[in-house]
Amino acid sequence: MKEMIVRGLQQAYENMVHMIAEFLPRFVVMFIIMLFGWLVALLLKYSVRAILHLTKLDRISEESGASQVLRKAALPTISELLSRAFFWVTWAAFTLVGISVLGIPVLHEQISRLFQLLPEVFIAILILFVGVLVANFLSRAALLSAVNAGYRSPRLWSGLVRFVIWILAVTMALEQIGLAKETVIAAFSIFFGAVMLALAVSFGFGGRDLARQVLERHLGDKHKQESEKEEEPTPL
Amino acid sequence: METSLVEETFLDDNFLRQLMSVGEVDLLVGIPSHNNAKTISQTVLTIEESFQQNFVRDRVVIVNVDGGSRDGTCDLVLNTPSPKSQNSRGLSSLRTLHRITTRYASQPSRGAAFRAILTAADLLRAKACAIILPETSNFTAAWVKSLLQPAYREDFDFVAPLYSRHKNDGLLARNLLYPMGRAVFGRRIRELNSGELGFSGRLAGHCLNLDVWREESVRTSPEAWMAVTAISSGFRCCQSFLGPKVHSLTSSGTDIVTAVRQTVGTLFWCLESQQSFWMERTGSESVPTFGPEHELTSEPVRVNRKRIFDLFLSGAGELSGVLKSILVPETHAELQRIATDDDRKFRYKDELWVRTLCEFAASYHRAAIDRDHLIQALVPLYRGRIFSFLQEHHDSSPEDIEAHSENLCLEFERQKPYLIERWKAK
Repeated sequence: MKEMIVRGLQQAYENMVHMIAEFLPRFVVMFIIMLFGWLVALLLKYSVRAILHLTKLDRISEESGASQVLRKAALPTISELLSRAFFWVTWAAFTLVGISVLGIPVLHEQISRLFQLLPEVFIAILILFVGVLVANFLSRAALLSAVNAGYRSPRLWSGLVRFVIWILAVTMALEQIGLAKETVIAAFSIFFGAVMLALAVSFGFGGRDLARQVLERHLGDKHKQESEKEEEPTPL
Repeated sequence: METSLVEETFLDDNFLRQLMSVGEVDLLVGIPSHNNAKTISQTVLTIEESFQQNFVRDRVVIVNVDGGSRDGTCDLVLNTPSPKSQNSRGLSSLRTLHRITTRYASQPSRGAAFRAILTAADLLRAKACAIILPETSNFTAAWVKSLLQPAYREDFDFVAPLYSRHKNDGLLARNLLYPMGRAVFGRRIRELNSGELGFSGRLAGHCLNLDVWREESVRTSPEAWMAVTAISSGFRCCQSFLGPKVHSLTSSGTDIVTAVRQTVGTLFWCLESQQSFWMERTGSESVPTFGPEHELTSEPVRVNRKRIFDLFLSGAGELSGVLKSILVPETHAELQRIATDDDRKFRYKDELWVRTLCEFAASYHRAAIDRDHLIQALVPLYRGRIFSFLQEHHDSSPEDIEAHSENLCLEFERQKPYLIERWKAK
């Protein structure tokens, strides 16, 4: 009995050592590939940036109005954006190759699926890009409006707008590539409903005075409204 | 008699029929309206009183263009009985006093109303025209004369109004629109953005032929655009003193943010569209003025200075990232530095204010960020500037304020090369 247990443990230990001995070199290879990929991606990024700088792409983009769209969304120049895209795509490709070296069948299968899903992935990236554009634009609009109206915590409002649009864009992108479709939609619905409920409750409890002031401003007597207008001199 | 303009840019058949039944006129007064039932009758009566007193022999018409009133404004324009007044020589008008009203859209639009009036003036071959806002509560018959006479009898093409104002009133015009407009376009016209103005039929025809009517800036502030067009196209400009400007209860709601977006947005757009005109010009010339050139009153008024300063501080802090993408680092740093000053010591000096505006204009030109966002980012800084102005001139006499305004104008003229440098910078 005792011998059997010792033999079993010995077997388990040997298996583990064998697995580690088999896995460790692969892991090191993966790490080396990723590191090498990172260096190649970095090199490619600077090369692309230099080449695009020579081709004066930024000036062409400026003249065509594309730079204005990027600036409106608080994004960098087109050459910077492209060079960063090259970096991430290259590094992601090396990382995938590295992961496939591990020889884990499930991961291998998922990577193959990922390559098959490339068109959908591309559309999803596009959705994310437009989402970032819209989120940056609208969050800045919210920030400016909140600051000029004298609201408290304008960055909170701005951040909330950005966050909600990001969540929406991420949900749409994940739905596009068909990743955990039901879960994503359910999670989004729960999240969105929770945000709305939280806003309603917090406004109800915390904003009673503010709501009264808003209603008074819109429905209250003229004399009060006029006295409020005197607070800032007439601009024109 | 009431008709509708199918599209804001085209006159419909009924309106054309009305215009044809009037024939040619010498003088036209346009009234853009929107739910002005309380004041429109008095406005029409005052205009006709002016016609009867000052233009007895001339062919005249009142053209009301309405932006979808639901309170019977158009009916009141047509049905208010004409006054039976006589002039100093005992004469009443020898001509029929025509009134026309039309609805140009279901929603008010200053640009569309302005264009409809200009089109009517062009079709009726009016020699001189004026635009009167029905919401101005202290409007008198003398105003109509003051706006029409220079264009009709003195051969001027653009007549800008001048008002008597409280020293704290019209601070956007005093601190930004007038000095910057004067330095850039080289003419000393104080009220570039007034809704009341006079102009010749020649200028109306010229403006109508320009392909700008779909531009947002022209749609929101057509008066400023017309003033700049008159200057840059070599038309004869003058100013005419009207009297005190009192905002009526229904119209004083134009808040600072809206005012800045409309007027500064249009000014920057004019800078952009007329850059070939102003780049080479230096200094400024005065224009002929009928009546006093300025009149300030200084009776005490309630202003919440603390709130204005708090809004500046909040804006300078919260919008620091946005301002960084508009201003050069030195200007941004200086702004952040003055924002740390105690409110009693706080001063937004002329030099820094002018530099800020030059950089804003240049950033608008190269669309550093969305242009409407850029103009909105100026609002907190404008608040800082008016707080500084109110602190500095709490006890100043009207003469002191005028002297300071002149210095600010000269500072703008001095920094014009900097504006050009920033404008041309990539």
